[in-house]
Amino acid sequence: MGAKKKEMMAQILEQLINGLVLGGIYALIAVGYTMVYGIIQLINFAHGEIYMFGAYIALMFILMGVPFWIAVPLSMILCAILGMLIDFVAYRPLRNAPRLSALITAIGISLALQNLARMIWSARPRQFPSESLPSFFLSEVTQTGEVINAILLPGGGILPFRDVFILLLAVVLMVVLNMLIYLTKIGKAMRACAQNAVAANLMGIKTNHVIAVTFAIGSALGAVAGIMVGLSEVVTPTMGYYKGVAAFAAAVLGGIGSISGAIFGGIVIGIAEVFGADIHSGYRIAFAYIIMILVILIRPSGLFGKSTSTRA
Amino acid sequence: MRDKLTPKNIILCLCICFLPLFMYGIDGIERFLSEYRIDFGWPGGDYVIRIVVRACLYMLLAVGLNIVCGFTGLLDLGYVAFYLIGGYTAGLLMQRLGVPYWFALPLAVLHGTVWGLLRGIPTLRLTGDYFAIVTFGFAELFFRVVRNEQWLIGAPNGQLRGIPSPSLFGITFNQNWHNYYHILILLIFVVFITYRLQNSRVGRAWVAIREDENAAESMGINVGRYKSLAFAVSAAIGALGGCFIAQFQVNISAPFFEFWESILILCMVVLGGMGSIRGAMIGAAILGSLGEILREVLTVLTRFTGYPELVGARYLIFGVILILLMRFRPGGLIFKKT
Repeated sequence: MGAKKKEMMAQILEQLINGLVLGGIYALIAVGYTMVYGIIQLINFAHGEIYMFGAYIALMFILMGVPFWIAVPLSMILCAILGMLIDFVAYRPLRNAPRLSALITAIGISLALQNLARMIWSARPRQFPSESLPSFFLSEVTQTGEVINAILLPGGGILPFRDVFILLLAVVLMVVLNMLIYLTKIGKAMRACAQNAVAANLMGIKTNHVIAVTFAIGSALGAVAGIMVGLSEVVTPTMGYYKGVAAFAAAVLGGIGSISGAIFGGIVIGIAEVFGADIHSGYRIAFAYIIMILVILIRPSGLFGKSTSTRA
Repeated sequence: MRDKLTPKNIILCLCICFLPLFMYGIDGIERFLSEYRIDFGWPGGDYVIRIVVRACLYMLLAVGLNIVCGFTGLLDLGYVAFYLIGGYTAGLLMQRLGVPYWFALPLAVLHGTVWGLLRGIPTLRLTGDYFAIVTFGFAELFFRVVRNEQWLIGAPNGQLRGIPSPSLFGITFNQNWHNYYHILILLIFVVFITYRLQNSRVGRAWVAIREDENAAESMGINVGRYKSLAFAVSAAIGALGGCFIAQFQVNISAPFFEFWESILILCMVVLGGMGSIRGAMIGAAILGSLGEILREVLTVLTRFTGYPELVGARYLIFGVILILLMRFRPGGLIFKKT
């Protein structure tokens, strides 16, 4: 193998891992879209904004001096409440209204929350202050070629512990979520509502409670994703809009309503975006959109979804 | 709305026709009063006319969006794509190739229509959210192209500067009152066409598709053809609006055509009541001018409070309007859908 080829392989490996990390984040957001869609057939546009609020709330706590490990769960709880509040105030009155009304409401919430964030925290991109993060997040390569807080990949690339942490956290949260859905009573109720909300209601399941719990779980996972993006990129009021749509693309790709589909879709979109950025950085996010449009046009039920003729 | 020659309507028509005259008249009065040190805070005729022109432009766009959203009942989140196509087609033709406005306009409209049809073909069988999402993705892709393709636009971020004003017989139409009559003629033309379409076989077919696509199809309506027609007409109107803004603004750039512009136009249609042409126009007039007024008010407030982020409140208010409307008056504030 020539040296050039070896270098290329190393680069591909590094990008693949970057894509996987991004994909893990997308999967966390996409789960929120897909769970809500599975139960009330609504594209919750506001989910991207909840994710953005998750990042900002954690950032605020950290700037106030709260340790990172406490700021994260606090932000998750506050976002879960925000998600339930949105459901209660805006979506619940529209449960029996035409689907278009709920979708327009979702867009309205998204618009309002995004600009609220811009008013509170200004449009200036912000970063998590590195001194208040756990020390193992700060990886660097010293002059002598020593790698601190990172794994040396074959071929010379480095994999920061931060990325390992993001990936592990995403995996752990996904496992917990699956256990919640398949092993607990509330999970069973959620699955019942996704199959047939009316029948579930007749069987004595409080549909509105289940929907509120769904919003809470999705929003808490979204908050984690927001913090993870904040760690590796910057926090801006528009981050929810860009990443949110890419994550929605992931949910569609995997088959909306399917959780394993959302995880798979997230990874595919993440990898596609990282490699797409190599081709042309201006079109970074466009690759996610193109994949999404193609999936909707060719196979609207996605890769894992139930096949239905129309989504009205 | 039956056309009646009531005194009220005649006065309204005269007001619309001679609006610039009144505005410049007030300018004159102010100039006269300022001799006596009286200032009643008139912002200037040109400024008011500019706001009216913008409101008229939004009325045009809202009427266009209403065809897809209101008549055929499909939520189009990417209407701004046609606005963008019209704007950049006309702008590039005029600025780069020196094509006169009167040729650039039909070409831009044609270009928009072609894209409307191209987008329509694959999305014909989609309904509801999936249609909305595909239209959103489509518009976003166009936005990316304009932002990134520097060889085409000539500057980063889609900046196209110095688009020439239209001229005829040696007269250059670059005054604000020129633009006022210009957009007025376009608007009357578009509204006339849409009214005629609404009250024809085509309009009834669109509404039938909105109410129940399967029933419409079984009644012998060629759903695909009528939907395509709706997409084409709507796209053409969007491109027409883009064409106008290119020469009106002289310099255009990508942020003019962001996703939120689509939502703003949607907000206008929803405010007036989806499916009503009059509603769309009134909704656009309210939100179009409200946007400008809010911008002024918020700028003043910013100066007083020293808090720079108040300008974002404009869109916050639009979002809240959407939520409240859907919650309390889903049929629109002004006209109820029959």
